[in-house]
Amino acid sequence: MSEDDYVDLDRIDMTVQELLTEMKDISEVIVDLAYASLMYNSREMAMRVNELEDEMEELKYAMRVKALMAARTREDAKQLSGILQIASAADRISHAAGEIVELLDVAPEKRPFITNLINESDEKIRMIRISPSSDMAGNTIGKLGVEANTGMKIIALKNRYGWTYDPDDNVKLRAGDDIIVSGTEDGGNRLSEFASGRIPWEFDEERSGEDE
Amino acid sequence: MNKIESMLLELKDTSEFMIDLAYSSLLYNNSEIAEEVEFLERKMDDLSADIQEAIVNLGMQQPQEIAKFSVILRLQMAIEDIANAAASIADVVLRGLGDHPVIQMSIQESEVTIEKALIAPNSILKDKSLGELRLGSHCGMYVIAIKRDDMFIYNPGRDEVLREGDVLIANGPDDAADFFIGLADGSEKEL
Repeated sequence: MSEDDYVDLDRIDMTVQELLTEMKDISEVIVDLAYASLMYNSREMAMRVNELEDEMEELKYAMRVKALMAARTREDAKQLSGILQIASAADRISHAAGEIVELLDVAPEKRPFITNLINESDEKIRMIRISPSSDMAGNTIGKLGVEANTGMKIIALKNRYGWTYDPDDNVKLRAGDDIIVSGTEDGGNRLSEFASGRIPWEFDEERSGEDE
Repeated sequence: MNKIESMLLELKDTSEFMIDLAYSSLLYNNSEIAEEVEFLERKMDDLSADIQEAIVNLGMQQPQEIAKFSVILRLQMAIEDIANAAASIADVVLRGLGDHPVIQMSIQESEVTIEKALIAPNSILKDKSLGELRLGSHCGMYVIAIKRDDMFIYNPGRDEVLREGDVLIANGPDDAADFFIGLADGSEKEL
């Protein structure tokens, strides 16, 4: 690849639909991650936000190239312009998340209200540890269907290998792992009960079948 | 929590809700939902102006706290940006540019999906309040809007009682969608 080839060729091979799906997904997780980085004062999480921001930028350029190549008629151009507008908006959301994590440079005592703000929000962020007596230990996120059963989205996971952000469904949870989740208070309380082993996990037959 | 903090909280909660709503307006290419996003956007503009004014006043009274106030302003601006981006997504629908199958498909393929479900006469959701059902924490789907008698109820509260014929618009993980639809159409009997 020549030096002035800014657009990642892998992404150019993605379809417009794949690009748009990816951009939408990032636009949703990146804001949660940004708030979580402030809440836990985590540089590492902020770096992940910046990486996602860069990735979004690449996707946006790939999208522009694809859209221009696809436009043949006036009608095509009209429809594709709508898609480009969505892509730009998703990109703007990622930059706003980037602005949020920049607040980490401010000393924590100058931003005490931020933790309070996140705690009072409709969408709450909390850290939960998986206990050895929990049914969650030893199962993958996908098999458990964590979000489907509790409404809580796992935005980060800390295990013996370190941190994973926005972990995939095939990642296995183990006793002692910490997960950072976002969702409602009620969902968080329910997930804590499962994670501590106080209540057994309600496995879904169909879901465990689909997993393999 | 002081007044500025509660205004900032409303700003943050609304911005997140606007993103959900904006993507649902795209999925259904629905201009009514898109208009609600625009309405919220105007509310956000007013709220942002109020926050800025309050911060300026407070900054004059307590200059020693200026560093803290600047953080509030920076956060307010980032949140306003998110709201503007959501409005820009809804604008695609309002301009009539949202009618492309790729848009609808890309949202359906996404990790966070949006589903519409009609409450059937034999649904266990019927005549129960959202607070009582706790759909979010028990099936992962959050109801962001209800369409009832051709009117939309946005961001319905805990006390909202679901009726037969209501159309729920909810978002959540893709593996929760089928169960949610089953609850609404009466085929799933237990939450």
